[in-house]
Amino acid sequence: MFSQLSLWLTLFFKVFIIQPMRVGIGVSTELDHLKAVKEAVEEAIIQIKTDNIDFALLFTTEEFSHSLVLQTTADLIGQIPLLGSSSPIIISKNGPLKHGVVLVLFKLNEGAYFNAACIKDITINNTLSSGEELGGKLLYGCKNVHRDLGMIFSNINTGEYSSLVTGIQEKLGRGFPLVGASLPKRIDHAENHLYFGPEILNNAVCGVLWGGKLNFGLGIEHGWQPLGKPRYATRTQVDTVNEIDGLPAVNLYKEYFGKETLELNRELKRISVFYPLGIAVSENKEYLLRSVISIKNDGSLLFRGEVPEGSMVRLMISSKDSCLAAAAKAAKTALDNARGKKIKFALVLNSLSRYALLGRQAAQEIRIVRETLGSDVPFAGIYTSAEQAPLNSANYNLGKTYFHNNSIAILTITE
Amino acid sequence: MLTLLLFALIIAALVIALTYKIQNENQLRSQVSSLKKSLSDMDEQAKLIVRTDIELNKIEEELDKKISGLYALQSLSRMISMTLEEDQIFRRIQPEHLKELGFEKAFGFLWDDKGKRFVLRFSIGYPGEAIKSIESFFNENKERCMNFITSDKTLSSISASNNLITLQQLNEIFKINSFIICPLAPQQNNRGLIFVGTQNLETTVTEGDEELIKILSTQLAQALENARLFEKTWNAQQELEKKVTERTRELTLALEEVKKISDNKTNFVSSVSHELRTPLTSIKGYAAILLTGKLGDLPPEVRQRLEKINRHSDELVHMVNELLDISRIESGRVTMRTEVCDLKEITAKVEDLLSGQLKERKLSFIVEIDPEANAVLADRTQLERVFINLVGNAMKFTPPDGSITIKSHKMDKMAGISVVDTGCGIAEEAHDSIFDEFYRVDNTINQEVKGTGLGLALVKHIVEAHGGKIWVESSPGSGANFSFTLPIPA
Repeated sequence: MFSQLSLWLTLFFKVFIIQPMRVGIGVSTELDHLKAVKEAVEEAIIQIKTDNIDFALLFTTEEFSHSLVLQTTADLIGQIPLLGSSSPIIISKNGPLKHGVVLVLFKLNEGAYFNAACIKDITINNTLSSGEELGGKLLYGCKNVHRDLGMIFSNINTGEYSSLVTGIQEKLGRGFPLVGASLPKRIDHAENHLYFGPEILNNAVCGVLWGGKLNFGLGIEHGWQPLGKPRYATRTQVDTVNEIDGLPAVNLYKEYFGKETLELNRELKRISVFYPLGIAVSENKEYLLRSVISIKNDGSLLFRGEVPEGSMVRLMISSKDSCLAAAAKAAKTALDNARGKKIKFALVLNSLSRYALLGRQAAQEIRIVRETLGSDVPFAGIYTSAEQAPLNSANYNLGKTYFHNNSIAILTITE
Repeated sequence: MLTLLLFALIIAALVIALTYKIQNENQLRSQVSSLKKSLSDMDEQAKLIVRTDIELNKIEEELDKKISGLYALQSLSRMISMTLEEDQIFRRIQPEHLKELGFEKAFGFLWDDKGKRFVLRFSIGYPGEAIKSIESFFNENKERCMNFITSDKTLSSISASNNLITLQQLNEIFKINSFIICPLAPQQNNRGLIFVGTQNLETTVTEGDEELIKILSTQLAQALENARLFEKTWNAQQELEKKVTERTRELTLALEEVKKISDNKTNFVSSVSHELRTPLTSIKGYAAILLTGKLGDLPPEVRQRLEKINRHSDELVHMVNELLDISRIESGRVTMRTEVCDLKEITAKVEDLLSGQLKERKLSFIVEIDPEANAVLADRTQLERVFINLVGNAMKFTPPDGSITIKSHKMDKMAGISVVDTGCGIAEEAHDSIFDEFYRVDNTINQEVKGTGLGLALVKHIVEAHGGKIWVESSPGSGANFSFTLPIPA
């Protein structure tokens, strides 16, 4: 048993395939967990038209019995490399699902490579080294092939997400593109689970490194606009902003909302979703968003993600229309980056904050993505608490990976 | 001198340049100040925008939540209202409905009047042990819970006071952070409560949520009431059906009994009539012999008495014969020998037969036969008896100078035949009984004129034995119309 687990944790998958790439997606909203998994597997197998499957992505909503889901999937499709997660809401072509299973099966083309790995037991003290370890594992065995992109999913209970990404990039290259998702917490504040093969993981990060004859196109947007005058984060500690313009960071929000700290705390969820802080990046061409997680007693603000000291920051605002337009733009960019090639699959990583902001129009956002990509493009994904991807303004093949909030990231895979 | 002039020129140029620079700097400073002011103004405007935006977002969020909740409630209500079984009503509440309403935990209790305790009817999001302890909590605090139910007021994490129980205690018992608890049907029959809650720290219950759960509880109460009424109606219907079956069975038995009695009566009448005929024949025979005087002259008083005996014997024989005919027809012993009969011919024969009496009573006899209803299928002898009886009756009750009319007309496959007189008429209350055996209408003529009360009964039996119907239309003083139907040959 132990040797099998060790094998899973260190295993890499090199695939040499003669056939062209095929993708099959199965979706089920059956209430019965077992029936739901069976239905999704059957649909995916019918679509992919082969039993020889190389890789699987599995997304479920959080109330599912995760061990049952993984066991049933393995019984039906065999012990193939599998990555995935649970989330409060998952994405299918038909829209967001508050209850359901989405299974994506891949049969890769000739000369396509991938290597999957995971790191468990990540703490605040070992984030950077965990990233490095994952980078090393992903790289192992793919050293002599062309590497295109890394896909990562994490549910680490620490603010040092940036360290994790930095660690991975230390091994894969500082400009190596990574696209990933941080899982949101469950309704009961427990962690959502990561799936890696037969394992259910918490405080972990899983990744897959893609290489060979595959092409990726990325589009990432948020739709928030800066508001008010620019300010500077004069004192910060990773994801905590102590001072803005030399004053306690909370003053920015107090000033704009005309509320005292107690009242701000009461409305923190809404403020976090609707009015994140924007960090000007890429010569002020883009803004990276940071949602407020909590207000500390000394007036410091804890954000979801790192805020570099000295960075220019602004309060950001958005609307439903602006959010929907951003989703359309992200899909259009991803489509353009596919350079006219047939998109085999698109992964959609969408922020839960956007779901909250859009409310009843959340389904419209997915509809826009579907219409922009083309109704024949298969896609699936999850709602996340944070997204990792290069910036849009930089060429993603060369760009550094950033940690995003409130964004929609669409990654297309072509041959 | 030249140097001095040059120096002066340079000084002048420098002064001009300096003045220009100072002017330029002042201008730039003024512009910067103006821009700073604009930026500051814009920042102030941004604050206004943010404050308005957050308020709008709050309203929109609440509205969104309400719409989603209403959709969930509508779908739930539709399913509940279609259910007429108490257990099924609660089973319709599914986790996805709760999720749409913004909750993930729920339960419902109904008060059991017999067991004097709260009984759990459904629970979502609670493991077995947890819900058992909640059930115990409710049954340990019956009085307080009943007070809450009868108050018909919704309690929630925003409206609860700490009078009854602290919010913290509620949170510990129900394992939630926000909740709404709502009385269910404060009527006598379905008293209870429903509870919804969430562990999500970020969820805040609003008044809108309270209203939605109140609507849900009202719907549940209505559905429970409907189910109860349906059960009651169903049971009543079952009871009624049982009673109808029982009564039908009793009526069938009674009918059989009546039939048996009727048969017995017919047999009795038949036997008695037969038995009467023999001595009657003897009485009549001896009376006739005596009247001939062959056994010696009779004193006038004796002759008078003997003539009376003879006449009464004739009447008795007539009555016995009619009774025998009725009983024969009733028992089916008489077969109608149907043939095509010509009504004109038969009525002419009847007229001929009764012409003496008609003349004596100065009555005109009119026959109006529709050619299409002239031929009827009937037993000729029996049909003659029908006419003789009906015309005889009419003659009895029609004063002199009156008329008796026989009409016929076609009614689909039957001939409608009427005997209409201009007599004293019959009161409406006697119409139903006039065809009964021995029934005689109570009027002065009947008191004077003798009759058996069997004639119309016999007529009815004969008409019905032909597959026809007979009825009377009359009112006192306006004559009588006896109508009957007989089949027309195809």
